[in-house]
Amino acid sequence: MGTHFFINDNEDVLIEILKRLDGRSLGVAACVCKLWCGIARNDSLWEHLCFRHVSPPLEGVRTVVLALGGYRRLYMVCVRPVLNRLRKWRPIGMESDSEIVRRVYWTRHEVELSLSLFCVDYYERVFLSGGSGGGGGGGKHGGGDAAAAPCVSSLMFLCKAVNV
Amino acid sequence: MKRDRDREREKKFFNGGVFNGGSSGKGKIWEEDEEETPDAGMDELLAVLGYKVKSSDMADVAQKLEQLEMAMGTTMEDGITHLSTDTVHKNPSDMAGWVQSMLSSISTNFDMCNQENELVLSGCGSSSSIIDFSRNEQNHQTTTISDDDLRAIPGGAVFNSDSNKRHRSSSSFSTSMLTDSSAARPVVLVDSQETGVRLVHTLMACAEAVQQENLTLADQLVRHIGILAVSQSGAMRKVATYFAEALARRIYKIYPQDSIESSYTDVLQMHFYETCPYLKFAHFTANQAILEAFTGCNKVHVIDFSLKQGMQWPALMQALALRPGGPPAFRLTGIGPPQPDNTDALQQVGWKLAQLAETIGVEFEFRGFVANSLADLDATILDIRPSETEAVAINSVFELHRLLSRPGAIEKVLNSIKQINPKIVTLVEQEANHNAGVFIDRFNEALHYYSTMFDSLESSGSSSSASPTGILPQPPVNNQDLVMSEVYLGRQICNVVACEGSDRVERHETLNQWRVRMNSSGFDPVHLGSNAFKQASMLLALFAGGDGYRVEENDGCLMLGWHTRPLIATSAWKLSPDSGTGAGEIEL
Repeated sequence: MGTHFFINDNEDVLIEILKRLDGRSLGVAACVCKLWCGIARNDSLWEHLCFRHVSPPLEGVRTVVLALGGYRRLYMVCVRPVLNRLRKWRPIGMESDSEIVRRVYWTRHEVELSLSLFCVDYYERVFLSGGSGGGGGGGKHGGGDAAAAPCVSSLMFLCKAVNV
Repeated sequence: MKRDRDREREKKFFNGGVFNGGSSGKGKIWEEDEEETPDAGMDELLAVLGYKVKSSDMADVAQKLEQLEMAMGTTMEDGITHLSTDTVHKNPSDMAGWVQSMLSSISTNFDMCNQENELVLSGCGSSSSIIDFSRNEQNHQTTTISDDDLRAIPGGAVFNSDSNKRHRSSSSFSTSMLTDSSAARPVVLVDSQETGVRLVHTLMACAEAVQQENLTLADQLVRHIGILAVSQSGAMRKVATYFAEALARRIYKIYPQDSIESSYTDVLQMHFYETCPYLKFAHFTANQAILEAFTGCNKVHVIDFSLKQGMQWPALMQALALRPGGPPAFRLTGIGPPQPDNTDALQQVGWKLAQLAETIGVEFEFRGFVANSLADLDATILDIRPSETEAVAINSVFELHRLLSRPGAIEKVLNSIKQINPKIVTLVEQEANHNAGVFIDRFNEALHYYSTMFDSLESSGSSSSASPTGILPQPPVNNQDLVMSEVYLGRQICNVVACEGSDRVERHETLNQWRVRMNSSGFDPVHLGSNAFKQASMLLALFAGGDGYRVEENDGCLMLGWHTRPLIATSAWKLSPDSGTGAGEIEL
């Protein structure tokens, strides 16, 4: 008798694997099937993605981030663009392109900046009467509602491609 | 070399540009820049107006126009308007053919007429694009030709009002031309690059004329600017247009009301906030200074001299919420101008901030004060609690310079600040001296400053490319933001150039000037630390087009500029220990 191992029967293993992915892969994973989509939407996965390399862990961040829209949104609106842009900008240019996937190294300043921008985004989204315009940070991956709420956002600059 | 050639010859712009007097003609001379490509050789300046004139034909057309002008000048009383209404012009955009057809219907001989007339060319189809210029006949004898020769135009130019009336009555293509004493004049064409230089010179010449109270000359020059500006593109055109409008307001004494809806100004400033990083830089650096000043305090109070939409405070509240040790109790006092529709805008903003504070778990209290001017408030009104329990920070973003329009106001406010005894005062101002006593100095400074500003807007606004998905449409908000930001700056330009006295509130001063003022009023500088610098640099790196922006540290203050020109400066201040009202040390 053969015992087939089917990943979908072992969610805890799946979660452990997904936890170690980078953002893009996580987004791709969310497109595999309904089960994976549901798991990938779990905010704790994105929390792990955002902050696993930040030490020491910031206290109280979770309450704030969850209140402002959750880690997945934080990643898409702020973290990903910030890392992408600043990666190109940072003078430490030793890693080659293949390293980029694995390097999610944050500095404290980047974290703080991202959180501040995230808060500004929340304020604009919720409180300021939005006009037309794309939502903040539409990514190619990462589940459906990235651009669900189009709003005026001063973080629009994060959506634009950078002139490198 | 081009300049030398210009010096020796007369110049004439056929779309009604500036006429410079010169020595007697030496025959037709072509500006060698005009390449005569077979079919694309249309003169671009005229093309803008809807006339198709081949560059190669220009001299010919010029001559014919001159002949026409002379003819019309002499037959003024004979009702030559039939030319404009009766003569059938086939293909009016073909100027050469049209002029020829008009010439052939005139059979009078040419007489020299020494009066000054007005040249009017109406653009086809649009009645508003009337281009005027008039010239002083004495220019003809002037021999001083240089790039500054615009200033040499004597002030005796006078409009001929009869010819004015005649032109107003004609419908579409009416031309009446200048008379001239020589039949064939040398002709030199100018390309648009030089027109850019011309544009700047004309702007400065116009300002000089205004400075000397020579309003007729200034009026003519202002119209020139309109023409020249059309041939430019991008930032230069917009800047020139705004400055021309401001100069025109000053000349015609149509002063803009300063009491325009402040909610409109708020909207404009929101768009400015979104388009470019200046305001964000201001907010983030000021917040960093305030945050550092508040370390260890359990109750904090921030007084914002111009609350507007309160965009600065969410980021500060979030930083306070996440600071080690937990957030303090946060109190915000917002000051704003009265609203025309009597809505309590301050209270609405306060309410939104309160909700945000509740969301992120910060104890929050808000108070709003409506005041026409900061000088109307003092420490007693603002409900300051004893400094042992509550630390106060005062924040002023682009607000203090307005007080300079009334004597004594700034001193009063600085005294009030001292009475409040804050831990820190953050000050963000434009880095430019737009408060010089002499108009022309102000004008030149403003021209350079706003040109740089518009340049930076241009690059940040246009750098949006297709979104990564290709699904999200090109955000239309982007263009609207850009336009509104330009309007926002345009109003500042208007105020700096056109207004005077207590109406002129955009009295920007440089960082050094503010330093002198603050030092002599009893404040000591607080150095903005490396955290602020790093955060500001990162913020700018995030902006597309961020390569143009530069953060500089200037003796403890941070300046944000575009390439080499600083545009905004953030500084922080505390009370000097010996200034009398300070209670105890203020260590940071």
